[in-house]
Amino acid sequence: MHEKEKNLIKTYVDGGIDRRTLIRGLGVMGVTAATAGVLLNSVATEALAQNGFDWQKHKGTKIKLLLNKHPYADAMIANLENFKKLTGMEVEYDVFPEDVYFDKVTAALSSGSSEYDAFMTGAYMTWTYGPAGWIDDLNEYINDSAKTNPDYNWEDMLEGVRNSCAWNGQPGGELGSADAKQWCIPWGYEQNNLSYNARMFKAGGLTVPTNIDELAATAAQAKTDGLASYGIGVRGSRSWATIHPGFLSGYANFGQKDLNVSADGKLSAAMNTDVSRDFHAKWVGMIQDSGAPDWSTHTWYQVGTDLGAGKSAMIFDADILGYFMNGGDNAEAGNLAYSPFAANPDASAPTPNIWIWSLAMASAGKQKDATWYFLQWASGPEHAVFGATQMDFVNPVRKSVWANTDFRARLEKSYPGYVEMHDVSAPGAKIHFTPQPLFFDLTTEWAATLQKMVANELPVDEGLDQLAQSVDKQLKEAGLG
Amino acid sequence: MEQVSTLERILRGIAISFVIIFFMFPILWIFLMSFQTNETILQVPPQLFFEPTIVNYEGLITGQLETAAGSLKIEFMGNLFNSLFLSTAAVIVGLILGVPAAYAFARLKFKGSEDIAFTLLSFRFAPPLLVLLPLTIYFQKIGLADTYVGLIWVYQLIVLPLILWIVRGYFEDIPADIEYAYRIAGHGFWSTFRKIALPLAGPGIAAAGLLAFIFSWNNFIFALVLASADKQPVTVGALAFITASGINYGQIAAGIVLSIAPTFALAMYAQRYLVEGLSLGAVKG
Amino acid sequence: MGEFTMSVPAKGRFSINRRYLPYLLSLPALLTCIGILIPFFTAVIYSLQRYRLSQPWARKFNWGENYLNFMTDASFWNTLKVSMTYATLTVGIELLLGLGIALLLQRRSTFNNFVSIMLLMPLMTAPALAALMWKLMTNPGFGILSYFATLLGIKDLNWASDPATAMMTVVIVDVWVYTPFIMILLLAGLRSLPKQPFEAAELDGVPRMFVFWKITLPMLTPFLLTATLFRVIESIQQFDIIYAMTQGGPGDTLTVFQVEAYLNFFQSTNVGRSAALMMILWAITYFLSNIFIKNWLRLREKARGEA
Repeated sequence: MHEKEKNLIKTYVDGGIDRRTLIRGLGVMGVTAATAGVLLNSVATEALAQNGFDWQKHKGTKIKLLLNKHPYADAMIANLENFKKLTGMEVEYDVFPEDVYFDKVTAALSSGSSEYDAFMTGAYMTWTYGPAGWIDDLNEYINDSAKTNPDYNWEDMLEGVRNSCAWNGQPGGELGSADAKQWCIPWGYEQNNLSYNARMFKAGGLTVPTNIDELAATAAQAKTDGLASYGIGVRGSRSWATIHPGFLSGYANFGQKDLNVSADGKLSAAMNTDVSRDFHAKWVGMIQDSGAPDWSTHTWYQVGTDLGAGKSAMIFDADILGYFMNGGDNAEAGNLAYSPFAANPDASAPTPNIWIWSLAMASAGKQKDATWYFLQWASGPEHAVFGATQMDFVNPVRKSVWANTDFRARLEKSYPGYVEMHDVSAPGAKIHFTPQPLFFDLTTEWAATLQKMVANELPVDEGLDQLAQSVDKQLKEAGLG
Repeated sequence: MEQVSTLERILRGIAISFVIIFFMFPILWIFLMSFQTNETILQVPPQLFFEPTIVNYEGLITGQLETAAGSLKIEFMGNLFNSLFLSTAAVIVGLILGVPAAYAFARLKFKGSEDIAFTLLSFRFAPPLLVLLPLTIYFQKIGLADTYVGLIWVYQLIVLPLILWIVRGYFEDIPADIEYAYRIAGHGFWSTFRKIALPLAGPGIAAAGLLAFIFSWNNFIFALVLASADKQPVTVGALAFITASGINYGQIAAGIVLSIAPTFALAMYAQRYLVEGLSLGAVKG
Repeated sequence: MGEFTMSVPAKGRFSINRRYLPYLLSLPALLTCIGILIPFFTAVIYSLQRYRLSQPWARKFNWGENYLNFMTDASFWNTLKVSMTYATLTVGIELLLGLGIALLLQRRSTFNNFVSIMLLMPLMTAPALAALMWKLMTNPGFGILSYFATLLGIKDLNWASDPATAMMTVVIVDVWVYTPFIMILLLAGLRSLPKQPFEAAELDGVPRMFVFWKITLPMLTPFLLTATLFRVIESIQQFDIIYAMTQGGPGDTLTVFQVEAYLNFFQSTNVGRSAALMMILWAITYFLSNIFIKNWLRLREKARGEA
């Protein structure tokens, strides 16, 4: 970097000029806004280098990452040069499309491969990887001041999110308990709330729904009034991914659970209660009346693309999915707005189930201390601020970033209601599933059961009884029930 | 056969038209779609006339994918290269291993030859996942995981049985007398094999090689399970256009077009061999 | 034709390799494939174990228990049923359609040859990509087929996302990809049939339908049988098309063997069940491929005899 540019950035960091002046100044020197972000951050990285921690300890070491094709990975890659400069380490990475990503991780880990040192994962996956012995408990690194830089600030991570990545390995054990192991480090996360098309809502005189009945009614009205091809987007493919977003968030809001844990640690199905039947019936009815006609193949992508294209009036799904659809070349970019959503009229606040893209360390890796250098940088405050303000590294998992005025202002400006939605629902946001190794068996079957109900192949009552029976049987077979 | 009635001729014409539409239309539609952006693709009713654009192809070739979340790097050209390299190498290795073996099975009947040949062919019909999953672990142990060599070896599962059995048929068709006469003239075994047997079985070798190439190219599951991102073929690579920030339908279409174009071109170029290969050696052209 | 006697020429020089030569020639190919046998036996062992990756401590031999469990496991019987239905439907339709097209194109002409080559295009398309193409075409929002359906007055046709039509949709894709294969095989068969019986029948004024049922079809039977067996073996193992289109859904409508085994392994990480499923599929295909290979060899002998 040239001295002139560097000085300008330093002036900004020291508070001498405001951001716009800086970008304009850099523009004069022929530096584009995107590059400016990275340059700016390189100064922040230099600041990081000053904290007395020996960043160069693993100089020359090469690590390899397994990444999912995702804006989070993009943000990291955009900032990666700064990490290399800071540590003198080499970083290689493989990026796979999400459709095949987790199968790829399972294939790599189950074969005992030492090729990848760290990889992206979700908390649910660690319920398999952890007991299987494929990933390391990261507490021993976080708590070791010789290995972790003093500015890392682990306590800065949102508590519900941090705890959701920690589990003691006991089927049914509470997430974030005192004896829990930190299987992965939160990176970015999603709450499930309402993203709606404000243009349509205004045109049709619709009000933003605040509970499941209103949601169904509003969706139906949006469809019958012809505002959109269908009223509400939720996922529906035969996969765990159908259960964990809006569906479980609403379900948990009624105080319902997936499994019961008895005093002696035995698990049993909990989805055939009366409240659950009622919720299932409403959910299924809503999809039948005003969901996507091809709901049963809808994954994250279709739910998002349809909202962005104006095919659906709203989605009860990941907030960041709505966030992404409000930009780029989407037809409805700029028309979307956000609202917290509590399905239960009697609930005081939303209880979103969350998805956390996290980073985990492969047990088979051969250079774990060096890998930890990468992990603490990638999940550290400096990269979090860079990603959240310059790239689409949202939602941040650090409280300090949510307090960052630049970040809040950016959201307020182009994403109406987003900040408030996050603030309102963050206290109740956590993983509402019971951690146990059969997670994917049970949720896939749950999704298949929902599909049968929506297709009218199976009445809700009977479907739930069958599901509960099958779940109990599988739990018993696996020695958990 | 000559006095075909007009009615029959019309009916035949209609039937053939339907056949052509059913089999050709999807390809045409995807081809058209590859020149559109999401904006025109998502219009209802579908537009027959649109302003064609080559941005999708540009994106694929330069490796920059514009999405809602900014520009992404994609490695489609790398995928294309991998497909080409893996399929070609697999076929070459398959021919080197398979042709001599096919000759041995055809000419030099030996103890257990039928059983061995039979076993080799039955590999062709085993469910691929059955061996693939345990194979990941063995590959790890012997250092073949995520290598082109390992993949090319596994591709032999598709390639080798095919070559063995098609080429064997051709060798059996060459009258032994020709080779016999050549041998009597004082030529050695290898020279006979090279100068007589190989050229005579040439069309069969070409047919088998071509077919093996296409099957390798179209394979999806081997590389998916066994290789890392930089060694994935187009069949897996095409999935990469589906990104977290939305689906770019035009780009998927362009990716499909680029992925099937090479096999189409090959099929056009070498149709006779292809037909011979596909009729499983049951008929000689 | 026939076997080559190595002993006659160049006696001295060849007597040493003579015995080993065939083995020498076929050994590399053999060794290459033998490597594959090791994972196969590993899979056999897995199928006899209680083996979940997520519960490594509970891994132990339970011998036939995985298989015994299938007896009372509704989802296994569903898998078997779905796989059989899929194979029957696809091969049945492809056979009829392939035969029809082959008859249409039977006469050698430039146009017919051109059409038959054009029809190979779907077969050249990777099944995974073909599934992607059809997924786009049946998209309810902009898919051209959904649009045609509404023009025809069929509202709410949801193709692969409706359990009532999901099987139909994947069968159509399979038919699109593989009918050309059957067509080409039967066309080759038809064109290789001896001319005399047909000429005689025409001279005698025998009705065409009668000729078809009594002469064409019986003479074509070996080809039909070969094509059928070959396709059944492949069809019962279908993975690419179904996985790319629906991942086995909606509900359990399309959980065929390989899809179910793939999901068992990668999602549930239940290796034991996955391996046992694959073993059963293997047994079925091994049985079928034995019949196929014998039949095919006979067909080739015949083709050669007539050539």
